[in-house]
Amino acid sequence: MQGLSEVGADTSSQKKGQVVTRRASVAVALVAGVIVLVDFFFERGAPDAIARYVLYSASVVAAATLLLGLITLTKRHVDKLIRRAPGRGYSAVLLAALLATLVIGFVGGGPGSPAMRRWFEAVLFPLEAALFSLLAFFFVTAIYRVFRIKNFESGLFIVVAIVVLLGQVPVGALIWDQLPIIKDWVFDVPALAGVRGILLGVGLGSVAVGLRVLLGMDRPYSRQ
Amino acid sequence: MSLAQWIGLAFLAVFIMALYRSKRQAQPDVLARLRPIPFFDQLTDAMARAAESGRALHVSLGTGGIASDLAADSLAALSVLEAIARRSGTFDRAPIVTLADAALIPIALDMMQEPAHKQVGLQPAPDVRWLTSSPPAYAAGVMEVLGGSEVMSSVMVGAYGDEYLLMGEAANRLNRRQLAGASDPTVLPFVWATAEGMLMGEELYAAGAYLSGRAWHVHSLLAQDCVRWMIVLAILVLVGFNSFF
Repeated sequence: MQGLSEVGADTSSQKKGQVVTRRASVAVALVAGVIVLVDFFFERGAPDAIARYVLYSASVVAAATLLLGLITLTKRHVDKLIRRAPGRGYSAVLLAALLATLVIGFVGGGPGSPAMRRWFEAVLFPLEAALFSLLAFFFVTAIYRVFRIKNFESGLFIVVAIVVLLGQVPVGALIWDQLPIIKDWVFDVPALAGVRGILLGVGLGSVAVGLRVLLGMDRPYSRQ
Repeated sequence: MSLAQWIGLAFLAVFIMALYRSKRQAQPDVLARLRPIPFFDQLTDAMARAAESGRALHVSLGTGGIASDLAADSLAALSVLEAIARRSGTFDRAPIVTLADAALIPIALDMMQEPAHKQVGLQPAPDVRWLTSSPPAYAAGVMEVLGGSEVMSSVMVGAYGDEYLLMGEAANRLNRRQLAGASDPTVLPFVWATAEGMLMGEELYAAGAYLSGRAWHVHSLLAQDCVRWMIVLAILVLVGFNSFF
């Protein structure tokens, strides 16, 4: 019985600890949010200095989480190698590249050093460019899928897309001289109106999300 | 303070007032009267299918981050993840969560350890994967995850750029059922072309209200509508003013 009461007391103190932690995290988030918001309206003076400090602290925390990401990534791929899982060759390449980047960074003189820049320019940038160059082909297959008329919406989409495509190329004006004018009208009136409508909604939604977090109504950083 | 800052401050004040007014005047059945968004039913269906098949649901939180300009998109994505985590207690296989912002790792891990798992006696280990912070490399990582046989469906919600198309098309090619949401108007055509269900623009931020039904989320939707009507009215008045004076 004594053991059970001790367990009960432990659970109760754990719950109290969780409540305190939750309240503290909400308080920190609220204060930090209000400081940064106030700084938006005051460009100089104490609010600006405090907000700079808060943002600097946030960047330190973000750097720490990057380290956490690196650890989980390394752990996952080392585990894959140990288990001899399929695709472990890619894991080996990833870990080798990670190690090489670390060595170049430490030996070469940090992230802004010429050696590190060369490493990025020679390896990472070409790889990213190669991947993005595939977008054109992916775009064609996506367009092919969309161009199958399923309903009124997709039918309208096809008609407008053909008119705009023809209006963009010189041969369009040869077919019918009004096509470039119609294309400009599509861009300037319905497309722009639609985009502005979407952006207005996105702006309002962003403000709503920000305010919910700022006023402590939404707390993604602690269980609610 | 400049004029723009005064206008910003006034806008915030109006929004906060609208928020509290919505809370006071909200009807008890307000949740039932929200317009239906098919995405949320499709999400429930995708989760049920994943649970039945014993395969995983892939959840991507986008290439944006919580400390970037697109933090609102990431927060909206977290609302979707929270709902999935709550309902995934019956899954044999925990959802695979991929993210590009390392700051989201602790939040995602915390959400995936929801008590729902404990309630039914199952505790699949959370599978949260930080791939990289570079958008194209993240897309490559997601394509690799989608290629795995354990993935049944993919839910991609958050901030995306052009790299979305690489992932969306990969999911289509691999016959993975795909649900996606984005706020960037230049990405929305890609989402429309590749996803079975989509959240367009502001619908993304409504995820919390529809999925959790939390009062403040619903009230903020009503406040958004109220402020939207004010803006529409202001636009009409200004257009009229400019036209006649």
